[in-house]
Amino acid sequence: MSTAHARGYSGARSTRAALRLSLLQFMADPQWLIPSMIAPVIFGIVAFELFRGFGPYFLTYAILGAGMMSMWGQTLYGSGWATGQDREFGTLEPTIQAPTPYLYIVLGRVLWNVVSGLLGGAIVYAVVVAIAGAPPALPDPLGFVVLFLFVMLTLAAVGVVFAAFYVYTRYAGFIQNIGEFAFYVGTGCMFPVVLLPFWTSPVALFFPPTWALDALRYASIPGYVGFSWGFWPDIAGAVATTTAYLVLAGAIFHRVERHVLEVGNLDHY
Amino acid sequence: MSLPAADGPAIETHDVRRVFESRKGFLFREKTRTEALKGVDLTVERGAIFGLLGPNGAGKTTFTKILSTLLLPTSGRALVLGHDVSRETDWLRPRMGLVLGGERGLYNRISGRENLRYFADLYGVPLAEREERIRQLLERVDLVGAADRRVEEYSRGMKQKLHLARGILHRPEILFLDEPTIGLDPKSARETRKLIRSLVGDGVTIFLTTHYMFEAEELCPRLAVLSKGRIVARDTVDGLRSLVGGDRTFEVEAYGFEDREVEALRRLPGVSKVVEEEFGPMTRLTLRVRTLETNLGQVRDLLPGHPELAVRERRTSLEDVYLDLVDEEVR
Repeated sequence: MSTAHARGYSGARSTRAALRLSLLQFMADPQWLIPSMIAPVIFGIVAFELFRGFGPYFLTYAILGAGMMSMWGQTLYGSGWATGQDREFGTLEPTIQAPTPYLYIVLGRVLWNVVSGLLGGAIVYAVVVAIAGAPPALPDPLGFVVLFLFVMLTLAAVGVVFAAFYVYTRYAGFIQNIGEFAFYVGTGCMFPVVLLPFWTSPVALFFPPTWALDALRYASIPGYVGFSWGFWPDIAGAVATTTAYLVLAGAIFHRVERHVLEVGNLDHY
Repeated sequence: MSLPAADGPAIETHDVRRVFESRKGFLFREKTRTEALKGVDLTVERGAIFGLLGPNGAGKTTFTKILSTLLLPTSGRALVLGHDVSRETDWLRPRMGLVLGGERGLYNRISGRENLRYFADLYGVPLAEREERIRQLLERVDLVGAADRRVEEYSRGMKQKLHLARGILHRPEILFLDEPTIGLDPKSARETRKLIRSLVGDGVTIFLTTHYMFEAEELCPRLAVLSKGRIVARDTVDGLRSLVGGDRTFEVEAYGFEDREVEALRRLPGVSKVVEEEFGPMTRLTLRVRTLETNLGQVRDLLPGHPELAVRERRTSLEDVYLDLVDEEVR
């Protein structure tokens, strides 16, 4: 990642530059207030009402459900969308023409989206706690935080793959918009996937956040019954699928970059 | 990988072709095929400004994008600084700059300075030099006062200057400029041309596309004309003038001419070409003249029945050359 070329780029520096650019654009554009600040408040209130009466750990369910809804948009959707914006602004061509592989730029953006996703999660937590008047009973608060970050990583891995589609075609946003709510439900963002019909499970298992979220629920909610395999198999599944996504992203980005040079659609938006 | 050829040509292309395919329709997809480049052979020497002239749709931008590694040729071979643009992009990209220009291609919500910082990082401009280099560049393109304003507040000319600054930020060996003054007001265009000229002093090879004849004439010692995906001529400006039949041009205007009068003009010594065109009630004959012995008096003598006759001489412009060449290609 930190390969410094005799004349050219440093991957780590390019990633930092993309992270910084995302921050600057965020601060310059008030529309980001909606997904990053206002949506988490709404998700928090809705989740509290939805899960009320869901047992003694309903607060944890509410925080996880609303937190994931909020982070989904920020982390996964945001990563791809930023590439779509590059198309729209006409900045995709000069960025691709720079010596840095585009993957490093995407990584920087994903990092930013992870940070802003965490902000959304924190807002949800504060809203739910404020409504309930008490914090949720967490058996292992430190473990909760660590697993929460792990879930973000799994979301980020999917975000990187989505970003490749945005480079590949200008229609990626259209496809993502259609699939967005299916992903919401399929990965168990709001409700555990065990509550979904059986036929959805095989699809859900292909997504790293499904596994990571299930592990997080196992760790945070005593008596939780998710996948029949338990906490550690969930962790293993999350690590395996996340690794697969990251390997896939590395492999497809190079090919996608080659493909767009072949078809010549970098300036289409 | 080919060897770096420090003394070889800056650009060398052999039979470069590019086909674009697109599909229309929803259920019954109709495939359309457009041949944008039909076998371009071109050699550009290092250290000067080379101009590529052509009308809209001639293939200039396609060719520029191929040379700057943003597009792959469908077939043929293109070498820049001795390296293959299709296979050696890692070597080439840090050494080339590209300015596509226009309103797009910049991050509008952040400042000009931040735009430059971002691209300086992507190009690996040494961190210790970054801020000073950006300051010098902003000074050079006269954007110091606006450096910390959002780009969305910039005029078209200011954006073009920022594009240029970004293009040379990493000190490329070769710079591709695609219609760098299009849409600019005369003052901004003049400043941009001045800036482009000054880059040659830095030892940068510049490949410039334009359809403004005066711009090519002013900036480019050598140039080529691209029409319908083919190079139809390449030479110096003077070389191109002689190619289309002479350095001198006579313009003769009256309310119509008889065929015998046009024939008589055509037979004058040194007249290589006579082009007839109508504008309103008037007819204009444009004569390309190779020799000095023919003069306007002889033209007047051959057209005695035209009291309204207007005759003038001017130097054959690049625009004349270009129109002749493109016209011949169309025919």
